[in-house]
Amino acid sequence: MLVSIEWLKDYVDIDCTIEVLSDKLVSAGFEVEDVIRQADNCKRVVVGKIEKLEAHPDADKLQICSINIGSEMVQIVTGATNISVGDHVPTALDGSDLPSGMHIKKGKLRGVASNGMLCSGEELKLTESDFKNGGVDGIMILDSCYAPGTDMNEVLSTNDTILDVGVTANRPDCNSVFGIAREVATVLNKQLRMPSFEYKTIADKTSSNIKVDVKNTEFCPRYMASMVKNVVIKDSPEYIKRRLKAVGLRPINNIVDITNYVLMEIGQPMHAFDYKLLTSGEIIVRNASKGESITLLNDKKYLLDESICVIADGKNPSAIAGVMGGVGSSISRETNDIVFESARFARDSIRRASRKINVRTDSSTRFERGIDFGSQELGLKRALQLICETNSGDICEGIIDKVSVSLEPSIVVVPYAKINEILGIIVPTEDMVRILNSLQILTTIEGENLVCKAPLYREDIENANDLAEEIIRLYGYDKIICTLIDNGKQTIGGKTVGQTNIDNVKSLLVGEGMNETYSYSFTTPKMFDMLGIDKNDKLREVVTLLNPLGEDMSVMRTTLSHSMIEILAKNLNRGNKAVRFFEFASIYQPKSLPLTEQPLEVQKLVLGVLGENEDFYSIKGIIENIIDYYGVDATYTRPDTSYLHPGISANVLVGQDIVATFGEVRPDIAKNYDIKSKVFIAEINIDLLNEKYDNSYNFKAISKFPTVDRDLAVVVEEKVSAEDIISVATKYAGKQLSNIAIFDIYRGKGIEKGFKSVAISLEFTSYDKTMTDDEISTKINKIIKMLDKELQAKLR
Amino acid sequence: MENRIKELTSNAELLIANASDLNAINEVRVRFLGKSGELTAVLKGMRDVPVEQKPMIGKIVNEARDIITAMVEDKLAALTASSINSKLQSESIDITLSSKKCKKGGLHPCSIVVNEILNIFTNLGFQVKQGPEVETDFFNFQALNIPLDHPAREMQDTFYITDDLLLRTHTSPVQARTMMDSQPPIRIVNPGKVYRPDDDATHSPMFQQIEGLVVDKGITLCDLKGILETFAKTLFNEKTKTRLRPSFFPFTEPSVEVDVTCAVCGGKGCRICKGTGWIEILGAGIINPKVLDNCGIDSTIYSGFAFGFGIERITMIKYGVPDMRILFDNDNRFLKQFN
Repeated sequence: MLVSIEWLKDYVDIDCTIEVLSDKLVSAGFEVEDVIRQADNCKRVVVGKIEKLEAHPDADKLQICSINIGSEMVQIVTGATNISVGDHVPTALDGSDLPSGMHIKKGKLRGVASNGMLCSGEELKLTESDFKNGGVDGIMILDSCYAPGTDMNEVLSTNDTILDVGVTANRPDCNSVFGIAREVATVLNKQLRMPSFEYKTIADKTSSNIKVDVKNTEFCPRYMASMVKNVVIKDSPEYIKRRLKAVGLRPINNIVDITNYVLMEIGQPMHAFDYKLLTSGEIIVRNASKGESITLLNDKKYLLDESICVIADGKNPSAIAGVMGGVGSSISRETNDIVFESARFARDSIRRASRKINVRTDSSTRFERGIDFGSQELGLKRALQLICETNSGDICEGIIDKVSVSLEPSIVVVPYAKINEILGIIVPTEDMVRILNSLQILTTIEGENLVCKAPLYREDIENANDLAEEIIRLYGYDKIICTLIDNGKQTIGGKTVGQTNIDNVKSLLVGEGMNETYSYSFTTPKMFDMLGIDKNDKLREVVTLLNPLGEDMSVMRTTLSHSMIEILAKNLNRGNKAVRFFEFASIYQPKSLPLTEQPLEVQKLVLGVLGENEDFYSIKGIIENIIDYYGVDATYTRPDTSYLHPGISANVLVGQDIVATFGEVRPDIAKNYDIKSKVFIAEINIDLLNEKYDNSYNFKAISKFPTVDRDLAVVVEEKVSAEDIISVATKYAGKQLSNIAIFDIYRGKGIEKGFKSVAISLEFTSYDKTMTDDEISTKINKIIKMLDKELQAKLR
Repeated sequence: MENRIKELTSNAELLIANASDLNAINEVRVRFLGKSGELTAVLKGMRDVPVEQKPMIGKIVNEARDIITAMVEDKLAALTASSINSKLQSESIDITLSSKKCKKGGLHPCSIVVNEILNIFTNLGFQVKQGPEVETDFFNFQALNIPLDHPAREMQDTFYITDDLLLRTHTSPVQARTMMDSQPPIRIVNPGKVYRPDDDATHSPMFQQIEGLVVDKGITLCDLKGILETFAKTLFNEKTKTRLRPSFFPFTEPSVEVDVTCAVCGGKGCRICKGTGWIEILGAGIINPKVLDNCGIDSTIYSGFAFGFGIERITMIKYGVPDMRILFDNDNRFLKQFN
């Protein structure tokens, strides 16, 4: 909300600095987001009088001017052609800043010193309607009444300071100069002056010219209207134009300007209809009927339906209520008589209508924020006063006021002790009463209670908490002290087991040299094709956003692999040739489509690694550590995952459940991401692992006898897996086998093609005696025999 | 005889002192203490010593042997040690060469901040609670006193999925769900991802929040300030002060913005705090009694406070990251700065 200090001073005296005022507004809950000093836009530009003009010795098109700027004479070289001796012109001196953004310094033009610049209206960002000669092509010639040396900000009346005040959503009453003035009067402890509402009327009555009928009172609880005859359409007075410009509005003509002025000053959106264009002088507030249409002031035609409320005459809609007027009833140079509308419309209806037809105006925005019941009357009377003040027409007697709600302010009764209970400090009762009254919340003490009557514009005051807030924001938040829930019961803080598991797995992954990434939950629907996912795959059933920021962020991901491959691709592209990444995030699985309930959100972990030292087994090692952390046993099977290499990928099963899938990304899929090197990814179902988490460690006595290690190497066909060998060996090793592992695979010299040599280490532990070499050899021989029998493995 | 032994001892001492390696000292040992050594020869000469002198001379000889033996052993030990040292010296390596370790990775800076914050609050008795990111209109808005026509819906534009389902715009739905599921005392913090349609240097369409909620008997605005000041002192430093400013959130009444003294300049005013000495870090307030009632908690008995802040914003302040988009860029050169 832009607030002009000059305008504000109409209603409250401000005798402190802007900084002090800003601080006080901030501590009362109104953030001052910016302080705009208009004069900062135009610095060191003054009125200069041309005393002498000479031709430039070395340039036909340049002239040398001697300019009187009051205190001294300055020499300026100019190419302007529309100037003569005696002209008063805006003169930008050395070191000046212009509204156009230019910065002027002295210099030489073709060898002659020039100590500034003569300005055109364009360089001062002026048009003809802003200031006389502002639109002239050439230097802007000023009236000679402006003395040389006068600051141009004084000439242009751009000496105002504008505050950009943040108004919170609970205080729509402060979206106006007058509303802010009320707060300023309170925080500065000054008298508030009311706007002038005085105007003369003619004998003709508003009510004998127009009839108002509100069909939908829920939508429009209050509608006021007034008639102005013999309107003269003309320019507004300078002060109105200046103030509108100061808050960013373009002056148009007196009638439009008055409605805008009232909007900014009182906060009440107004609308003016051309009376002769209202069939039979009727104003009907009703829902549109299906099939009706209207062409609005933006010259676009809109098809309406029952959900949109309109202002209609006896026949057709004249305006979409609260949003925009129709061309059919708008003010023009031919307008003689007008009807002013000042109404309150339900904000959610305005919001829906505005969204439906996709038109947002200053008016609709105000209605959406909420207009209080007091503003209709203030706004209308202020508009009529301005009509009167500017001699813009003859005001008919009487105001039509259709109101369907009680305008009595509600009364809030609260024990004053309750205020202190909320705040935690004791505010003296007399301070409570003083503060509330200074806010026009008329307050008395009755027994133990505060009895408060809030003004019409404070619909937000409903209960003790609302009053506590009003009291403390003026009593001072700095008086709040620090306590640590002294009255509360003890509670035990902490994380769930699942949350702790995630923290621990993160530490483990950090120890594996991995870095955590952080990517968006929404992604592109193209991901499925990029990953080569089957048309009928469940992964393609996605939660889709109605209003995404773009197609590439329009669906909630059902797999984390796509994002991770993208991250790997981006890093490769930037020269990061060896990276290890992980990310914990949810995937979103619709229970049914179209979506009728919240989707399942499953927490997953995705890993992605690339680099010359990485292979299938390096990522498998990381997964094994995670599986070990969870205290479960896993088995490996080959997956059928569209984007993984069919020979270099695995599912990890715990029991019958797939808890992870990992492997090398297929080269043809990697190409979709512009990846040419090998990358490995894994996707791990953390929710499932959390369910299976087993942290029970049971003590087992350590054997008193030494363990015995034996290694052996066998040659098997390539198709025989490590797991095959281990399971056969384990089966026949006897119960003293305490560990078994494969520690080497050899192919090449000495081994036939299609075969490999597998080296196995075995560890035996006995709890009742020291095992002899013979005992161990017997076991090893049996294992060798059975490996041969079941897997055709030959001892190497 | 006596003189002879003295001379012999001082000869031995000189030779031992001059012995520069193990061989030399061995020679000395053999020459004096060996079977045919000089001291042994003296002992053999005992036969010629008068009987009455034998005990005295015997003592002198034994003393001399002990002295020489001790000197030899000392020298031997010294020479052994220096020989080992010189061998080790020759094995010396370049200790500044890089190690063979698996370099550790690191958490995302936002996770580091989340962890720190959760640690502070769990130590203050807060439980960590999480909830769904795809929420219903009811839990995201209505239960929190943001009905359909409320102006607060102006403040937060929302990613919608259907008329009723949306991506949560804050983690407050977790608070509503918790209040509906349990009775006071409640002390929770809710970390999680939230979504709003903004995308620029200081806004991301997805970001993380941590919100906190306390519901119990007799909870006041002073408790809110106390908890948040404790939090700020722990997160930044113990000199940090907090300041409350009035604000508005439909969920709370009174509502406040909480500023902390700038951790960079200590409140003197710098570039980070734009010269004000204060940094706005979170929004908070006393829970609106309508919200308690909406969630099945009797507002005539219980009261509470709530607070919430954006993790990315705090991460940016803490680590001096100028643009929020860097946090989501996932470039290893950025991420490994936090290893």
